[in-house]
Amino acid sequence: MSNFPLASILDKKSLIWHFCITSIKLRYRGTYLGVLWSALEPLLMFVLLYVVFSSIRETTKEDFAIYLITGIMFYHLFVKGTMAGLGSIVNNSSLLKSFNLKKEFFPVVATGSTTLLMFATLVVFFGLMPVFDFSPTITILFLPIVIVLLLFLILGISYFLSLINVLLRDIQQFWGIFSYALIFVTPIFWHIEDVDGILVAIHNVNPLGQIVELGHMIVFNQIPSLEQWTYASVLVFIIFIAGFVFFQKFESKIIERL
Amino acid sequence: MEDERAITVEKVSKYFKKNAEKTFVSKIKKGETNSEILVALENLNFHVNKGEMFGIIGLNGSGKTTLLRAIAGIYQPDKGEIKVKGKIAPLLQIGAGFYNELTARDNIIMYGMLLGLKNEIKDKIKTILKFAELEEYTEMKLKYYSSGMRARLGFSTALQIDPDILLVDEVLSVGDISFREKSFNAFLDFKKKKKTILYCSHNLSMLSRLCDRVLLLEKGKMIMIGKPEEVISLYRKKSSENKK
Repeated sequence: MSNFPLASILDKKSLIWHFCITSIKLRYRGTYLGVLWSALEPLLMFVLLYVVFSSIRETTKEDFAIYLITGIMFYHLFVKGTMAGLGSIVNNSSLLKSFNLKKEFFPVVATGSTTLLMFATLVVFFGLMPVFDFSPTITILFLPIVIVLLLFLILGISYFLSLINVLLRDIQQFWGIFSYALIFVTPIFWHIEDVDGILVAIHNVNPLGQIVELGHMIVFNQIPSLEQWTYASVLVFIIFIAGFVFFQKFESKIIERL
Repeated sequence: MEDERAITVEKVSKYFKKNAEKTFVSKIKKGETNSEILVALENLNFHVNKGEMFGIIGLNGSGKTTLLRAIAGIYQPDKGEIKVKGKIAPLLQIGAGFYNELTARDNIIMYGMLLGLKNEIKDKIKTILKFAELEEYTEMKLKYYSSGMRARLGFSTALQIDPDILLVDEVLSVGDISFREKSFNAFLDFKKKKKTILYCSHNLSMLSRLCDRVLLLEKGKMIMIGKPEEVISLYRKKSSENKK
């Protein structure tokens, strides 16, 4: 077992790729709209929140729609990605018992297929901009960096969740509720400068919130300061490294439990 | 002699916990439950030579599959050591690695890659389907395949991996007569190429025709290892004793 994340499965690139494609094919099997759903899901969530919040608030800030879809995009990918990561080992137990595969393979594939899903989400994101008369500036070029942070966060959390799920299936229920809570405590439909108290406290340690904030800034023509980049990155990488160390420590103890 | 060994199993034991799954409610009801230890394999010592066809027999639950999994590297033995020389293709469970919603072609790619091939599997699809006699069904989804057809697909793919060691766990029993004859010949070809096969089966006549040596397991212990006829007759004797 190698001591670096992803190193042990580097020679499995073709299998990872094939698995990611397959999981996308299988995810929407039997549905009439097929992969279109991967774009429809965040779009419908956007429509719902947009209609609700633009009618209960007297004055909405300008470009609320773009602000909202930015947050929804990151939130949606985070939830899809961590949920896929959560089930990645348990749902593939028959594969693990029949082939000699590195266990790290499965959370990585889950994050990989989330990466593919991301492209559909990006289509929605950029597709909505002309609808709301918005054009991004050059700062949007930072988007890939923010997305990479998000993917590392998803993989780091998937390292934890995929193993814990083997030992304690209760995590599925918990993570469902937790994801639900995240939509409220992450600056998706509210602005960080409009709130105080507990929401700010949570925001300071919420890596998803930090990522969403970075996203908001680069969408609205601001360049985050070095401090902001560093803070978010450190938060993400602490989780990522901790997840990997946890995974390495416990992965050998789970095969008989599957 | 040492370098002629494909597999060396030294003092290998493997234990499982019974009742490993506890719930909060059952814990309150029963108090502290002692999880019993199930001995899956106990102190196994044997080796398999390169080019040998090695059979494993035993009643259900005697540890055959656990042993194959340990040799394949899926389970780590709790005690002892297993040394393997060469590339292994495990053919352990029909269905694992097959996806109902995918076509036979996609399934071959997936299965081949799971067994360790990379993109070169794509060049072997035709040969695999031809051997499995399933060319007409290339683009058919696997959910419409019968279990025999699946077994043929899995076995044919595993053969094309060209492993040094093939682990087969009772997956061929669902094939029809003509395919059995074909896999019989494939095994013989394999042997000619000095490849090693471990074959777990309840098909005793096939075992005695094919195997050089057979291992009899009972409750995880090694009862006998030797010529197929001798081991099989002991196995028959033991199982008829059990009936009484």
